[in-house]
Amino acid sequence: MRRKTGMLAAVGVVITLAAAACSSSSTTTGGGGGNTNTPAFNAGVTGVVNSSTKKGGTVTFDNSSAPDSTDAGGTYYAFNLNFTRLYATPLTTYKSCGGSCGQQVVPALATSLGTATNNNKTWTFHLKSGVKFEDGSPVTSSDVKYAVERTFDRTVLPNGPSYFASLLAGNASTYPGPFKDRAKNLMGLTSVTTPDPTTIVFQLKQPFGDFNYVVAFPQSAPVPPAKDKGTNYQLHPLSTGPYMFQSYQLNKQYTLVPNPQWNPSWDPQVKQLPSKIIVNLNVNANDIDNRLLAGDIQVDQAGSGVQAAARARILSNPTLKSNSDNPVNGFMWFYYINTKVAPLNNVHCRMAVEYAVNKTEMQTAYGGPYGGNIASTAIPPTVIGYSKFDMYNALTKPGGDTAAAKQQLQMCGQPSGFNVNIAYRSDRPREVSSSQALQASLATVGIKATLKGYTAANYYGNFAGVPNYVHSHNLGLLAGGWGPDWPDAYGWGWALFDGGSIVPAGNTNIAELNDPAVNNLFLQLEAATTDSDRVSISEQIDKKVMADAVMLPAVYSKALLYRPPNLTNVYVQTYYGMYDYSALGMK
Amino acid sequence: MAVPIDVASGPGGPAPEEALSASDKAIEGRSLSQIAWRRLRKDKVAMTGGVIIVILIVIAIVGPYLVANPNTYHSELIDPTYSRPIGPFGGISLNHPFGVEPITGRDMLARIVVGARYSLLIGFAATALAVVIGAIMGVIAGYFGGWIDSIIARLMDIFLAFPLLVFAIALVGVIPSSAFGLSGSNLRVVLLVFVIGFFAWPYMGRIIRGQTLSLREREFVDAARSLGARGPYVLFRELLPNMVGPILVYATLLIPTNILFEAALDFLGVGIIPPTPSWGYMLSDAVTQGFYSVDPMYMIIPGLAIFITIMAFNLFGDGLRDAFDPRSR
Repeated sequence: MRRKTGMLAAVGVVITLAAAACSSSSTTTGGGGGNTNTPAFNAGVTGVVNSSTKKGGTVTFDNSSAPDSTDAGGTYYAFNLNFTRLYATPLTTYKSCGGSCGQQVVPALATSLGTATNNNKTWTFHLKSGVKFEDGSPVTSSDVKYAVERTFDRTVLPNGPSYFASLLAGNASTYPGPFKDRAKNLMGLTSVTTPDPTTIVFQLKQPFGDFNYVVAFPQSAPVPPAKDKGTNYQLHPLSTGPYMFQSYQLNKQYTLVPNPQWNPSWDPQVKQLPSKIIVNLNVNANDIDNRLLAGDIQVDQAGSGVQAAARARILSNPTLKSNSDNPVNGFMWFYYINTKVAPLNNVHCRMAVEYAVNKTEMQTAYGGPYGGNIASTAIPPTVIGYSKFDMYNALTKPGGDTAAAKQQLQMCGQPSGFNVNIAYRSDRPREVSSSQALQASLATVGIKATLKGYTAANYYGNFAGVPNYVHSHNLGLLAGGWGPDWPDAYGWGWALFDGGSIVPAGNTNIAELNDPAVNNLFLQLEAATTDSDRVSISEQIDKKVMADAVMLPAVYSKALLYRPPNLTNVYVQTYYGMYDYSALGMK
Repeated sequence: MAVPIDVASGPGGPAPEEALSASDKAIEGRSLSQIAWRRLRKDKVAMTGGVIIVILIVIAIVGPYLVANPNTYHSELIDPTYSRPIGPFGGISLNHPFGVEPITGRDMLARIVVGARYSLLIGFAATALAVVIGAIMGVIAGYFGGWIDSIIARLMDIFLAFPLLVFAIALVGVIPSSAFGLSGSNLRVVLLVFVIGFFAWPYMGRIIRGQTLSLREREFVDAARSLGARGPYVLFRELLPNMVGPILVYATLLIPTNILFEAALDFLGVGIIPPTPSWGYMLSDAVTQGFYSVDPMYMIIPGLAIFITIMAFNLFGDGLRDAFDPRSR
């Protein structure tokens, strides 16, 4: 369950997210903190650049590949979760602002956030009245129910998140989706009910406090059953947002134009400024950067930052640099430290690894200070409940704390070091570099590491995600990266650290941490009702996981984004970790 | 060994009448290889290639003991903003004559020299494997003919039609990290030698088969057979020694192909395991991480190393072919 990012070349500078958070605390809808019209480096992180309400103009996006699907029900890429807000209105969404303000989930199609009853097992949402599809037909709660149902058919929509299938009660575990189950007027899912056209009720099989985040995925955006063409629905999804599809040439280009039916009261988080939005697909990544810097296009849709060549150009030219932003983009790179592979089953041996690593070399491998900040926690700063601490001197001794590492090796009973294998994805150049850096710094305390490269495509399915394989091949340290499905400790960490998430294949708790204290904290988090409780429990989880030394944090990833001077309302939305695509306009 | 008479009197060597009338000096019989060596020595281009090859081999053998540790990090030599070496031309300095690697600051000279060892080792070993299999299969097919020839010829067709690159990628992915009593880089080197060499033999085999077809009807073969020599003796004592020329020529030309193929496999991420240095891997790194734009030397230096090596082998191989068979000039 992890949000995918098109992680090609993220780059960045040391900024304090706290500053961004403070400055954006006073935001109104659709804006970050301070508004500015004089471009400055990171102005889009701390506030809104070129704030404007001017309509008209064409905004052009380029993408070096293509979205997994333009169907809101079948996408998982962060950039596309961001982009689909232009034409799909889910029940809830993320607030259009930067800093910690952007972590808030707010109602979109729903009148208010869902109300939970029955011990967080029943969630009720009321729809705004008067919302219409682009063809003028009214949106009803059964359109939302149908949208949820169709995500159950993984043959039609293979790429989206699968939370509905795993969380809902009733026949959710066996329901094949409305394309196969044509009975009951296409309304065969028993755990979602629509008592009236503006009310929808979700029955969960277990208490789940984060359901408002789950329906913030565009999977909850309404789809009219009569217009659904299955796989081909993505060619023209019926819009409920400010824009609608005008044309779509598969794998080449799609064009959006303003939706005449749309009313700003439907979803105050999005805007309708440009008179046309064009997305070009499968453009060479370096070409995209050149076109972006030349002003031919306005946005790189993938939002993961420019390539090395453009990065050098931007950073060495003060004018270009003042038109760029370097936000922490929510993603984190790290190494799992497996708790079952000897001698790492001893916590002191794991701590020795934590201390020994040269964090600066790791940071350089992941793109230097513009590619990420040195990480010292198991929860990144973009997640609610993050608190800064430095248990293993990653920040005070970034070159590695050899003395402390040797001390831990003594306590572990391996004073002269030990042998260990490092697993990584050999087709990801940054992981190859970081694994070599890890190997070199472990050697300084006598830990002899051997590199084992695997292909990214099978990494979780066949190798690192299979505990039996990990044990039989002594994979003690395993490279990984993670982006939260929603920005709280549960959305970030349950799949990484809860003992209940260990599975025989496709495992994401690769450290195989099954610490009763951590498991208990996640249970408390599920049942927590107040925000302050949630924050304090999240902090405890973070500290306990780091004390267990099951994660070697490398960097909080950052992206170097370029904003052309003629683009308006540009700011970095925290949850998506890139510019808010639904706010942009042209001068 | 028996020598076919007419080969000795190619246009490059002295004609019989001239030699007779030149002087009273005793006429020495020269072997094929002696004649070829004389011709080769006069070919300056080929000899330059040969000298470079010798230098490369010496570097590959003793070089790694003379240079710094290729895996030592020098992060102080790296500008973290761009992850590229500090200073012009990839950080070239007295301590690091070829500069340092971006990101890590590892010494490029050391990595090129140690990389030469692996490139040449794999190039030579894979070629040796291809030559041994190819020569044996080719001479058997050509000498016996009939159904044996048909089977071997079809086998060659199968090997030539094999999607080798896909197979190499799959095989390297499937083989566990330790097998056949080897592990890590050693296992990978053996694997690469096998993959590259085992699929290159049909080219060799076809050439040898053609040569055998023309040689087996010769008098010296008939003579050996009439004296009672059997198949294996004729094959390995009469036929093969007379094909040393083409074998040598073809092997010399196969080596650069194999080195390039190894570089290509490195480039695809299924070659030598890092941190062991390899030329192809450096090139691949420069391309995939985009260093060709911010630190072009990181691409130019391993690129030049590959270029010079391939060039040297090709020039020498061409010269060798001309020396053994001037008619093909």
